[in-house]
Amino acid sequence: MTSRYEIGFIVTPEVNEEEVKKITESITSTITKAQGVIENLDEWGRKKLAFPIHKNLEGYYVFVQAEVDGSVIATLERRLKQMEKVLRFITLRLDDKLKKSNKLTKRWAKIDRLRKKTMDSREEKESEDFNENEEDSDATEK
Amino acid sequence: MQPRSSDGPGRPPKKYYSARKKFCAFCKDKITLIDYKNHKNLENYISETGRIFPARVSGTCAYHQKQLSKAIKRARQMALIKFSEEKKRLS
Repeated sequence: MTSRYEIGFIVTPEVNEEEVKKITESITSTITKAQGVIENLDEWGRKKLAFPIHKNLEGYYVFVQAEVDGSVIATLERRLKQMEKVLRFITLRLDDKLKKSNKLTKRWAKIDRLRKKTMDSREEKESEDFNENEEDSDATEK
Repeated sequence: MQPRSSDGPGRPPKKYYSARKKFCAFCKDKITLIDYKNHKNLENYISETGRIFPARVSGTCAYHQKQLSKAIKRARQMALIKFSEEKKRLS
């Protein structure tokens, strides 16, 4: 079973950008080898951390979104843990959330449609009332 | 008793403000998924010292507050948001 995953990690500022690319390539290649599809690759580059990690004040941020088998993610996690150049990493599954969000968008669309209907009907009513009032005023004048 | 007027003696009449009703900012913008990488937006929902604001303060709905707290915690893990910070005192 394949599902959508997101992997993010921070590399130490001691290395240069070529080494960061090497690490990202090693991760993407393992995904593609396991017949996975890389959907998005976000490289933020060198960025200041909110707090120091192991006395490092900066780090290279990389985020990868891919559709792969769950077992591949487990092996990737193990490898990321062993890498000394990686300060932190995070892996998330996105499928359940996307399902939920789709449900919510559908519900919101329904609510919008109902609201439009009620507003339209109200406007019609108001216009009708307005016409009636006009007729009444005409009658009184006569 | 007559209502006090600002022209007459004594204090001017007290002004009462009715609190404006809070609303969920995420529901308004129709955001279904709160991303932990969007840390600039998340910073609006944490205090000076780094605590997460409760839903009754920020006005977010239950569905989004749940997601928001999780997103903030993930952002903290990735060093995008501070965990805590001591309050700056004026000495």
